[in-house]
Amino acid sequence: MRSSIRARLTAAAAAAGLILGGLAPSGPVVAADPLVLRAGTDQDLQVLNPFNSILVVDFEVFTLNYDLLVNFGPDLEPTPGFADQWSVSDDGLTWTFRIREGMKWSDGTPATSEDARYTYQLALDADAKSQASADGYYLGAGYLEPYLLNAGVTAVSAPDPRTLVVETSFASTLLLQAYVPILPKHIWSKYTLDDIANVSATPFLNEPPVVGTGPYQAVEWKPGEFIRFTRNPNYWGPQGAADEVIILTFDNADTMVQALKTGELDYVRGVQPAQFDALKTEPNIVTVAGVSNGFSEIAFNTKGNTEGYGGSTSALTDPGFRDALGWAVDQAKLVEVTLGGYGTPGDSIVPPFHTRWYTRPDNPRSFNLDEANRRLDAAGYTRGTDGRRLDKEGQPIVLRVTWPSSEAENETNAQFIKEWWGQVGIGVDAYVTEEGKLLEDVVPPVAGGPANFDVQLWGWVGDPDPTSLLNVLRTEEIGSFSDSFWSNARYDELFLQQRAEADTAKRFDMIKEMQNLAYDEAPYIVMYYDAELHAYRTDKFAGWRSQPSEGGTPLFGYGSGGYTVLTDVNAVPTPGPTDVTAPTAGSSPTPSGTGGGGDSLPLILGAGGLVVIVAVAIILLRRRPAAAEDE
Amino acid sequence: MRGGYVLRRLGVAGATIVAIVLFNFVLFRLMPGSPERILLRGVPNVSAERLEATRQRWGLNDPVLPIVIDDGGPRLALENQLFKYLAATVGGDLGFSFVARGQEVTDVLAQRLWPTLLLFGLGELVAIVLGLALGAYSGWRRGGPIDYLGNGVSLFLYATPYFLLGMVLLLLGAAVGLPTFGMLTAGAVYADVWARLGDLGAHLVLPLATVSLGLVGQYAIVMRSSIMETLSEDYVTTARAMGLPDGRILRAHALPNALLPTVSLIAINLGYVIAGAVTVEVVFNWPGLGTLTVDALTARDYPVLQGVFLLLSITVVLGNLVADLVYGLLDPRVRT
Repeated sequence: MRSSIRARLTAAAAAAGLILGGLAPSGPVVAADPLVLRAGTDQDLQVLNPFNSILVVDFEVFTLNYDLLVNFGPDLEPTPGFADQWSVSDDGLTWTFRIREGMKWSDGTPATSEDARYTYQLALDADAKSQASADGYYLGAGYLEPYLLNAGVTAVSAPDPRTLVVETSFASTLLLQAYVPILPKHIWSKYTLDDIANVSATPFLNEPPVVGTGPYQAVEWKPGEFIRFTRNPNYWGPQGAADEVIILTFDNADTMVQALKTGELDYVRGVQPAQFDALKTEPNIVTVAGVSNGFSEIAFNTKGNTEGYGGSTSALTDPGFRDALGWAVDQAKLVEVTLGGYGTPGDSIVPPFHTRWYTRPDNPRSFNLDEANRRLDAAGYTRGTDGRRLDKEGQPIVLRVTWPSSEAENETNAQFIKEWWGQVGIGVDAYVTEEGKLLEDVVPPVAGGPANFDVQLWGWVGDPDPTSLLNVLRTEEIGSFSDSFWSNARYDELFLQQRAEADTAKRFDMIKEMQNLAYDEAPYIVMYYDAELHAYRTDKFAGWRSQPSEGGTPLFGYGSGGYTVLTDVNAVPTPGPTDVTAPTAGSSPTPSGTGGGGDSLPLILGAGGLVVIVAVAIILLRRRPAAAEDE
Repeated sequence: MRGGYVLRRLGVAGATIVAIVLFNFVLFRLMPGSPERILLRGVPNVSAERLEATRQRWGLNDPVLPIVIDDGGPRLALENQLFKYLAATVGGDLGFSFVARGQEVTDVLAQRLWPTLLLFGLGELVAIVLGLALGAYSGWRRGGPIDYLGNGVSLFLYATPYFLLGMVLLLLGAAVGLPTFGMLTAGAVYADVWARLGDLGAHLVLPLATVSLGLVGQYAIVMRSSIMETLSEDYVTTARAMGLPDGRILRAHALPNALLPTVSLIAINLGYVIAGAVTVEVVFNWPGLGTLTVDALTARDYPVLQGVFLLLSITVVLGNLVADLVYGLLDPRVRT
């Protein structure tokens, strides 16, 4: 018996040897290792057609593939992109862009002003269709064409291959901040507007390999796993050191951070506060707590229980009431508890990210329950017998405070708000609402909805220009973006003026007045501006540059500049423009990963794992018939 | 008799699957918020016309059930959501993913199925072999050092949640340079198929160890008590009295009988392969059905969730069916 078992084991070992023998010679996996930049994110890339972009990673991917007509510089200032020069007529209505000379698409086709004209015309065509249907037509998610429409673009033409002329209906510098990728006409014009707008049954998905003029082109996409880019051999600008860029999706932030520590990743976005603190002491790792371009707010249904609106009390319509509640919100506490200290207490609807536009309110509120009580008393909200305040109709005020299921952190915020407002005599009924349901609940009667809420906790994310954030509170947006239904004629007037104002100082004054109006009347009480927690390694790539330089992050910002400035830490000479070659011809034999002998160990262990499995399977299979025989 | 037993089991399994398919239909219509809103989430200015167009495109304007009750009393509606859903499901059409725009749910599932099968198939195999061997040996040498150690370790592993085990192994694996996430090195170019297999093997070590260790405990525990029970049977005493060697008694007499309870445990466990996938796959970013489920949940990709739910229920039902059939095969008393 014993001997026969040993014989079986030997047979299994021989089989294992065979497998190992097959594996061993192929130790070096890759012939010439390209230098790969691997970036991890907690977001799952959803689309490659830029018009369908919603998530940060969606935008990050299209700005690697494509240029904007005018790109975003290190401090978000307009910087040459698809066009290398531009000028505006004296009346400010006609813009002339000079397209880069000799530029080519990544497939070798010349890139001309006709491509830019074609792309901008798509947005105008969609808008024309939208106007004609009197009901709306959008390019995909509808996030991109407003950049042109808000800049007042009415017509585009390409009089010659290097000139693009854009006509606008009002003077504005917003055109230089248009987040619209210039697409290759020779590829996209094969598809109808409906295909591109994602409304046809056969939408254009823009599958890899993607053709663009950006520094890196998507060549492989495994949804839910990663997207891989290779260097664009025809890129017009300075090339980054990375031969390839891979953006990977992680469901588990712990795993992602661990992979950064082991060197399997070079960059991570979406780090949790506790992990962030732990990373600070790791060697060769730099942590960045950037300011996010957005805010989280307490939004009131400022129409209250007006005819057709589903608010529970008329008090919601009173700016004095909302202002008083603002004194009963401790923003610093929310930052400390909800964000683990990584964030900034909120005030203005223009976040401090916009260093050129953000201002602190002229009459700031602080956390002061006595002051809140005093203001509620003064505004005439007397307390009932049970200590609860009554509205002007004599009904006890109980506000329904809700938040979308996608934003779990608001549960913590809601608990604090309930506590604070309770102390000033305002009842709070706090509960979560499924996001799809809440999206319906906040639709006002003018768009056929119930406006069925009192207070909701949600957030907005902005653009390099504050216009889109300011836009949310306009009267005209009631039925579209506005989820507070606040209406202020002066604010609306200023919005149009600032949009058309080319003088930065004058525009600043207008935007400042708007910030103050919104703060004082408090349709929103901004809770905080959360931090963007990123981290990166310094032992493979150097030259990391934050955008904006004050309070920004190196990647996942605006544009591809963060990638092209990177240099190879291990390169002997600095990679000059002569090193620029086709993506597969790796320049320097840089060991990627943890380095040294570490590369072969996992291979051997993996092979060992396989061998054990196969051996066990063989034993198992052999044993069965033997047992059967005995029976 | 045997045919009757098989038919009965098949019938029960079939009826369960039909019930699941119907439940799937109802469940996703109980979701808060109307489907067209969910379809268009992220789209800022949703117009009434666009909502209507979306309703048309996704067939949401049809009555839900085949029977409509209106002013004219109850009447039959052949164009209804239930019939369309049933016809599509039977035809293998599970609809389109909201997220991976234009991609069919069946394609999405197919891409993610085999990594899960690979990981959990191998994991089950390793756990079965190790667990049964350990259990059998512990039971056979009851009270010995292996028994004490094995039983203790089994209980410990059985009680440890997958994600905890996974995180510990991840930290250990990272320390020795094992890949900690994914199935293959993203973007790697392989010299040949062996290099590719080697990379796969290296990536497989940690998640496979997690799955196997997570399962091995319960198999060992069940096998141990089963063997101990068998050893007290009369026929074992008889075999001993006849002078048969110990090894032969164990393999020829005790083991086949002791395997019965473990067979059903294994078969049922096989059904839970996908359900168990979620935590392990998320820890190691394994591109299988588990991570797909989490992604679909966070993105509210209802068609994909529906597909995963269906697949999961069917595997559980099939796992039970296999357990019943194998049990019947091994134990003639069950067949009657």
